[in-house]
Amino acid sequence: MTVALDYAPVLLPHPGRRTPVSLTEYRADDGYAGWAKALKTMTPEEVVEQVKASGLRGRGGAGFPTGNKWGFIPKAVGAKYVAVNADESEPGTFKDRELIEVEPHRVIEGVALCCYAIGAETAFIYIRGEYVEAADRLEAAIAEAEAAGLLGQGCLGTSVNVRMLVFRGAGAYICGEETALLESLEGRRPMPRSRPPFPAVEGLYRRPTVINNVETLANVPAIIDRGSGWYNSIGTPPRNSGPKIFCLSGRVNRPGNYELPLGAVTIRELIDDYGKGVIGGKAVKGVLTAGVSAPILTADKLDTKLDYDSVQAAGSMLGSASLIVLDEDTCIVRAATLMEEFFRHESCGKCTPCREGTSWLFKILSRIENGRGAPADLELLLSLSGEISGKVLCALGDFATSPVVATIKQYRAEYERHIEDGKCPFAPW
Amino acid sequence: MALSEQTRAAIDQLVARYPERRTALLPALKLAQADAGWLPPEAIAEAADLVGVPHSAALELAAFYTMLRTEPGPPTRVVVCAQLPCALRGAEGLIRELTHGLAAQIAAGSVEVERTAECFGACHRAPMARLNDAYRENLDADGRQRLIAEIAGQ
Repeated sequence: MTVALDYAPVLLPHPGRRTPVSLTEYRADDGYAGWAKALKTMTPEEVVEQVKASGLRGRGGAGFPTGNKWGFIPKAVGAKYVAVNADESEPGTFKDRELIEVEPHRVIEGVALCCYAIGAETAFIYIRGEYVEAADRLEAAIAEAEAAGLLGQGCLGTSVNVRMLVFRGAGAYICGEETALLESLEGRRPMPRSRPPFPAVEGLYRRPTVINNVETLANVPAIIDRGSGWYNSIGTPPRNSGPKIFCLSGRVNRPGNYELPLGAVTIRELIDDYGKGVIGGKAVKGVLTAGVSAPILTADKLDTKLDYDSVQAAGSMLGSASLIVLDEDTCIVRAATLMEEFFRHESCGKCTPCREGTSWLFKILSRIENGRGAPADLELLLSLSGEISGKVLCALGDFATSPVVATIKQYRAEYERHIEDGKCPFAPW
Repeated sequence: MALSEQTRAAIDQLVARYPERRTALLPALKLAQADAGWLPPEAIAEAADLVGVPHSAALELAAFYTMLRTEPGPPTRVVVCAQLPCALRGAEGLIRELTHGLAAQIAAGSVEVERTAECFGACHRAPMARLNDAYRENLDADGRQRLIAEIAGQ
């Protein structure tokens, strides 16, 4: 049965729409009201405080409190920057693409508010190179907003200047790592920086920089326009406030983006009521909640509420809320091999444990899947994972071990059967 | 000169757009690639000169990003995502059908079908392929035949 949620989407108010919302349409729906309110009635500090009070947490994966991040930016004069992370490349994640393609002005308004809050005049929107359509629409919307006096020199007749530059990547998952993103913007190989210094102190061009995900900033216009009190009427505050876009993919009948309040539904409800169930009525074998970068949850965890704390308590991470559903016919070893192939492909090569380790994890998983695994391989995979995790500069190396460690832990018998039988027991898919 | 006059002018404009010149390096390489469809060493060197960085700095980027090509390839490039969400919805079958249906074009060197482990953010419309820079999504049986006809007709 369908859960009748009395909820009107805030971030994607036009479900199913494929064309961009124009400036006229957006303004007719209170668009840029938050921007006008901030410019004319609020100080930058008040904007930061409002975002802090909203409880908004970063929607890119880490869930860090957005207002606090903005508060770290030094008040001193001089250039500061906003870098928007639109390098959406995590397998199973396609929310920022829809936000930019359909709601470009909501994103732009959020970026403008962030600029005002921290005193930045230039924002770079770093969008993955493959999102050509989204980048084109974003550039067109920025031009529309500039022509209307909303952006540029003297926004809405004030002395505030905001310039937005769309910067197109060229194919590299690592650019979603915030310091690699900065390196890419600076024209260097996108390899993560050692921290400290953190970007809030020394970011783009060694200046204080805020880096936020697209969806995070898309939340801000409504927070400023309608207030943090209203925002906290959505979700389960204080730690899980507001709406979240859940990307549902894999073996479900109706994959897609579903915007719901944090903590409002369980994984099972998302799959059954929104995704219209598993294809062919099959049973769920497992669900990934944060793309391929966090441990898989087994079917006994399907009644977990979809919020940061509940998913963590169940043994994984909400991350970017990218749910990939694996059914009973899915070979877990093959799934792990594919996930590891991703990390092998995307490791930037800076840290030896990750560069070499992801390659070996993939090779060992492949030989098990191909029926040439040895009984000692499982311990080898686990010990190799231990040599990567925590011994690298960025999270990619840690993420790369979760497909291995979690699947061996949860589905060990399936691995053992591959090794004992000398073949994969599942039909190819 | 390896680059067209138009591309050189566009790179000059790019350099002026950013707070620091070097930010223009990646966009400059993408523009340079549009000239010949790939990045010959002379094009990389010239883009580096226009931005004002050592040639090695430009080569470092050209060799890193998957969308930049340091070797020539067929004019039509089809890249199929075979990462988990697409694999769960028939990506391998799509690759087999494309390779089979476009065998003549592949043999003639006009088309390339590539499998990748990268995700392109189209998991809800899987399986999918990138046809040069454009997305082709929801590639069910009909969609596959249409895609093959589209490429074969080019």
